[in-house]
Amino acid sequence: MTTTEKPADTTGMQAMSPTEPGAQTMTLSVGPQHSGSGHMRLIVELDGDIIVSAMPDPGYVHRGIEKIIELRNIIRSIPVIERPSIIDASNLNHAWVKAIEELQGVEPPARGQYLRCLINEMNRIMSHLYWLSIYGVFLGHTTMFMWPLGDRELFIDLAESLTGARITYSYLVPGGVRRDLPKGFAEEAIKRTKYFEKRLDEYENIFFKNPLFTSRAKGIGILTRERAIALGSTGPTLRGSGIDRDLRKDEPYAAYGELDFKVHTRPGGDSYSRAMVHMDEMRESSQLIRQILEKLPSGPVRRKAPIVVPRGETYARVESARGECSFYMIGEGGDKPYRARYITGSYRNLAAIPEVLKGVRLADMPTSWWSIDYWPVEADR
Amino acid sequence: MSLAHEREDSLVKTLKESFPSDIKEATVVRRSRINLVVAPDKIADIAVFLRDKLGYDHPSGVSAVDYNREGRFEIVYHLSSIKTRDQQDIVINLKESVPRNSPKAVSLVSVWPGVENYERESIEMFGIQFEGHPRPEKLFLNDNWDGPPPMRKEVRFPTD
Repeated sequence: MTTTEKPADTTGMQAMSPTEPGAQTMTLSVGPQHSGSGHMRLIVELDGDIIVSAMPDPGYVHRGIEKIIELRNIIRSIPVIERPSIIDASNLNHAWVKAIEELQGVEPPARGQYLRCLINEMNRIMSHLYWLSIYGVFLGHTTMFMWPLGDRELFIDLAESLTGARITYSYLVPGGVRRDLPKGFAEEAIKRTKYFEKRLDEYENIFFKNPLFTSRAKGIGILTRERAIALGSTGPTLRGSGIDRDLRKDEPYAAYGELDFKVHTRPGGDSYSRAMVHMDEMRESSQLIRQILEKLPSGPVRRKAPIVVPRGETYARVESARGECSFYMIGEGGDKPYRARYITGSYRNLAAIPEVLKGVRLADMPTSWWSIDYWPVEADR
Repeated sequence: MSLAHEREDSLVKTLKESFPSDIKEATVVRRSRINLVVAPDKIADIAVFLRDKLGYDHPSGVSAVDYNREGRFEIVYHLSSIKTRDQQDIVINLKESVPRNSPKAVSLVSVWPGVENYERESIEMFGIQFEGHPRPEKLFLNDNWDGPPPMRKEVRFPTD
């Protein structure tokens, strides 16, 4: 093959033109293999090693879930709904059953609502821990890669005893949850959350106060308050820009209205602020787990709900680990929705990536965009 | 919290008074949810009013719905407010309908920059055109995708 011949287009990815001789900037394609880009491509324009502009090119893990869930009944869709973010499965599951229940007018029993919050908070911790371990990888901090993944097992085991599955639970169903608490769960959970909070102190000492992290996170990857609002950011990304918004407080669902917790914000808008919001939220979720177990009312965990999406439309949303996860669902009386628009926290925060990367050095690129906690699979759906 | 919909009702009233002929329908669906159906040629003005006068500065998403039996697409902007603290739970569904045989709408990226990706997705998945969109390119689909817009109702898959 001569150099002028174009390679065959097997990827569906438009080829980039070579940099013109004498040009001021250079365009670099990062990914879609996971070389610090996630399962997506970032098209980065560089001046020296400073990023002038960065354009995310998502879609490499797109599954067409919105189409799939139009074609199968609402129970069979539950495992599909979880797939975009298996590390945060129950929160996505919650948004789905909430939309169905709003249309059906079914309200789960109180114990079911508390158990939903329990698995949601456990999932929030597990998801944040997974995020933190990848942050460790991106910074070359091997201990921070190992520790969170190891401590995540504490909660994975708990979730397994509660739901029967380690990661993808399909625990929430219209009308409540599938199973009640197993024997001895509360004692074990209290023990584990207390141990976990001690571990968080160790994380702070080894990582969050470590110059290896702070020098590459403080003041880098700025998302201002104004831009965060205009770009529709959500979750820890929004709270890291100093905006005190959390659906668990703003529009309390399940049992969150009866629980006592704080919404953590940081004013900086930099990678450091976003990372610390995650850290604070893990602590908060850990105490929430104990609180839920303490306040847990007795009674049934599930109410009968038909396998039907009644005629009507609803916009249901929950606060997942990565921010607002919503379903705009339209029903016409069948066992599947006419349309279910699925917007996840990562999809919302996709717009913030070019903003955060502008002016950042290439070496800081992975750590800057990862601070948004963007999960490519969750965004592509 | 009271069960009355005072905040929602007053929002609907303000909107109806400001745009008496361009708002086709403004309803309080339930607590915290407002549906607003507007004329497609006036949507940009109403969007600016929502953002600047009512404080709906935070876009939460854009949905397109294919009502093939009625021969139209509905485009729904889901909006919430950061500015107005006591309306943190309210979502306004701003809706417009475009004919299915010539699906053209005005892009609202200039009003809410955050809707860029959602509109791009509606372009590739439904074949809707957004005039004034800064990057009307493929977002999730392959650059070499030449099939029909896959989210349209008539597109079926062998496993159906």
